[in-house]
Order: sequence, then C-alpha cells, then structure tokens
Amino acid sequence: MSGDEHATGAALLEVTGLRAGYGQINVLHDIDLSVGANEVVVVLGANGAGKTTTMRAISGTIPRDGSITFAGEVVTKSAADSIVRAGIAQVPQGRGTFPELTVEDNLRIGAYTRRDGNAAVRSDIDRWYTTFPRLAERREQRAGSLSGGEQQMVAIARALMSRPTLLLCDEPSLGLAPRITQELFAIIATLSEQGVAVLLVEQNANLAMRIAHRVYLLETGRIVASGDAATIAADDSIRKAYLGY
Amino acid sequence: MDRFFEALFLGLSSGAIYALVALAIVVIFRGTGTLNFAQGEMATMSAFVAWIFDDMGVPLAISVLIGMAFGFLLGAATEVSIIRPLQKKSSLAVFVATIALFLGINALTNGIWGTPPEESLDSLFPNDPDDFVRLLGTVWRYTSIGALVVTLAVTALLFLLFQKTRFGLAMRGVASNAESSRLVGIPTGRVLAGSWGIAGALGALAATIVAGNNGQVTPTMMFTVFVYATAAATLGGLDSPGGAVVGGLLIGVIENVAAEFSEDWVGQDMKLAVALLVIFVVLLFKPSGLFGTAKVERV
Repeated sequence: MSGDEHATGAALLEVTGLRAGYGQINVLHDIDLSVGANEVVVVLGANGAGKTTTMRAISGTIPRDGSITFAGEVVTKSAADSIVRAGIAQVPQGRGTFPELTVEDNLRIGAYTRRDGNAAVRSDIDRWYTTFPRLAERREQRAGSLSGGEQQMVAIARALMSRPTLLLCDEPSLGLAPRITQELFAIIATLSEQGVAVLLVEQNANLAMRIAHRVYLLETGRIVASGDAATIAADDSIRKAYLGY
Repeated sequence: MDRFFEALFLGLSSGAIYALVALAIVVIFRGTGTLNFAQGEMATMSAFVAWIFDDMGVPLAISVLIGMAFGFLLGAATEVSIIRPLQKKSSLAVFVATIALFLGINALTNGIWGTPPEESLDSLFPNDPDDFVRLLGTVWRYTSIGALVVTLAVTALLFLLFQKTRFGLAMRGVASNAESSRLVGIPTGRVLAGSWGIAGALGALAATIVAGNNGQVTPTMMFTVFVYATAAATLGGLDSPGGAVVGGLLIGVIENVAAEFSEDWVGQDMKLAVALLVIFVVLLFKPSGLFGTAKVERV
C-alpha cells in the first residue's frame, strides 16, 4: 500500500528510519513518514503505539536517530527552539498552555521566535481571536482557569503564533466533549487551506479520518499501513480494527 | 508612639534588605524550583569582590556594579555547571548541592578574607553621624532610607522586566510550563542561567548595602539576613516577587516591633526566633504564602 502519491515532489517533512525512545527503551523502530505542503496527515494508533514519541522526536524535545528533513533542511540534530524557528510548531498532548499566564500572554509567548515586530504579532493575535472568539472574551483570564476545550484552543492558537508551515497536533480530542472536538477539527481542517500543513496523531479515528488527506497506522512503534484516507477507510480489516464498524 | 515609629522605621529599613535577598530567592525558585541555600554566601563573596575594587581606588558605585556583575556570573555559572546536571538526577541532589555550596563558599571567603584586618567598605549612601532627618519623632538615617529606596527601585525594575520584556515573558513562561516553553522556541537553559544570574546580582547589591551599613565586609554577615529573607519569601509566597517585598518589609517590622515591645521576652537576642516562628506558622496554615499561587492540578 503505497500512499505517497499525494506527496509528490519534495515533501515538506520527510522522516526516514526514525528511532527514538526514553533512556534504554526504544519506542520507535524505523518510522518512515512524510507530510506534503498544505496536507493534513493523520497517524492513527492505540495507546502506547508511539504517537506522542513520534511527535516529540520531530519537535526535538527527545533525542532521536534516523533522518528528519524539513523544507529541504536536515533537522535531525536540531534543538527544539531551532525547530520552531524552522517552522514546525507542536501542540502537546493534554495541557499545552501556560496556566499561570493570561490567554493574551499565551499567544504573545507563542510568537517568541518571531522578529517581525509588534504590529505583525498584534495582527496575528487578533486573527486567531477571530478564529476562536471565545478566547477573545477571555483574553485577560489565566489560561489555567479555562475549560479543557478552551485550553486546547489556546494551545493551538499559541502554536500558530509562531507562523509555522507545519503544525503537529498530539491528540487534541483527548478529554473533550464530542461537540468541541468537532469544532476543533473543523478549524484544523481549514488550516491546510491557509498554508499550514498538519500532522495529527489521534485515537479518535472516525473524526480524524474525515479531515485527513493521508493516513498512517502506527502499531508498537512501527508503521503498519499507509495510504489515502479513502483507501484506508475502504480496507475492511483496517476499518474493523480502527473505526469499529 | 515614638517607640513604635522607631521600631517601624528600623523594621522597614532592615526589611528592605531582606526583601532584596527574598527577591533573589524568588527569582530562582520561579525558574528552577530550587531554594538556593547558598544565596547569602554568593552575595557575601560578591561583596568581597566589590571591596577589592573599592580598595584599589575604583569609585564605590562602580565597585558595587562590578560586584553585581560578579554575582551575576557566579549565579549563572552555578546554574549551568552544578544545578542543571544535578536536576536531571534528583531534586534532593540539588537541595544538598546548594547546602554544600553554602558551606563551600563560606569556607572560601573565610579562608581568603577571614583574618583581620577586616575589609572596610563605605556605604553607598551618606553615612556620617549627622546624615539623618527627623520624621515622626524618630531619626531616619540616610543609609536606611537609601536601602529602602534601592529596594523599591529594584522591585519596580524587576516588575518591568517580568511584565514588559521578551526575556521577562520567557521567564514567566519557563516558570509556568517548562515543556511548552521549549515548544515555543524559548532557549530554556539560557533563561534559567539568566534567572540565577539576576538573583546573584540582587544578592550582591543587598550584601554591599549590608557591608556599607556595617562599615566592613565579613564572611558571616549574610547568615541572619538569609534566614530572614527565607522567612520573607515563605511569607510572601515563594513564587511571587511582590510577595517577597511585602514579606521582607513585614518580617523586618515584625522582628523589630517584637524586640521593642517585648524587651524582656523577645528582645534583641531572640529576634531570629521570630523569623523562624513566621516560617513555621505560614507553612502550617498557608503553605503557598500570602501572594503565592497554590498549585492546582487539573486532572
């Protein structure tokens, strides 16, 4: 099942032979995956499959081996802050916010790596307030005082403030009401139309498949299948295992 | 009433010093979550450095700035070379390391500068016998007023640093969520080293003021100041700079009023016990202090 027809030419993110883990324990075994520009790619996997580890390895918050190329540059050895500067922003699992900071400061700190002046940052903050009107209402509140769904919005807006070309989303649906999750996924889907590619890892396969262009299946640290969202959804055994019908 | 104002003013002026050191304690605690037991000793060493330059004929204000620069470097170097590697092992190791630093730096300053003649240092502020004003029936010496003004000015500067600058935003970010700080591209290592540096410079400033008031630099001059400052930071809340200042001034006033009005019981000898009592009571009833944030975990 070769699913790379979408990512023609040079992919935005090209990961080959990625190995990573914690201490002596290796979690990822030679992962290959790619994300094209403006593409929404979903990695599905159960608990412990290595989804979060994959995200951390790409964002440079844990040591890793193999090769990661982003926008033509090898970033395998880059530190987390230079990966952000290169254009990859991660929304970590759970609370990715700064709970003691106000919503507004959360967005301002998201622009930490930018050097294009206060006016540009200000207009981006207002842009994401338009996308997430509830955050505009709560701009002076501490992020930690918001509901789970609102905090997830803060985390996503915070990540977008660095003007990434690739957004890594680690299980944004975790612990959220279905209606909120749908709202979030709808916004994530529109990002690719605005020039931001998305790599999304999820357990919530049904929803994720709806916005995905391409899908990878991750099992115990290995990619076991990949392909167009439609192709994957049509595969009986995969559908039974991941979609439950 | 005169006695009260006298005790109040004495309290405010010594409290200003406690507040400066408490600010240093808070800046470090917010960054690395460490209570730096060596804060006072690092400050003493920096004061000796200021004395060296003062003794060579460098103007006092410049010598103090050099001492603060030394304090900054000492703090930053401590974070990079000792605290950071140990923090990966365990927080207990860091705790023990700051106590070891306390002993080590104290032995060092004692060894180098401990033998008489004592190292004399002038006050940054006019300190002749007639340099005072009378207010509310009490003598307010310029040195005390100076310490108070310096503390308030430093507090205002720190507030601007925290609230209005990019580095300050990064410091607040690292204090709030270290992992997300890395994910927004903050070089957390540099921020933590910077926090320890700022704390070192604050301590150096406090120590040169103490030395100026005493007229000399001595290896043990920051012992009690550090205990009071710890009480102040605990009272104000270990993660609250504003709390550190309020706590410092309160502790200064409490100890002096207690000593003044309970001469037979507390007196000058048991002032320090008042600070320990404050630490104990605060930890018992309000562990996060007056202005500190109580840790709330959303599960």
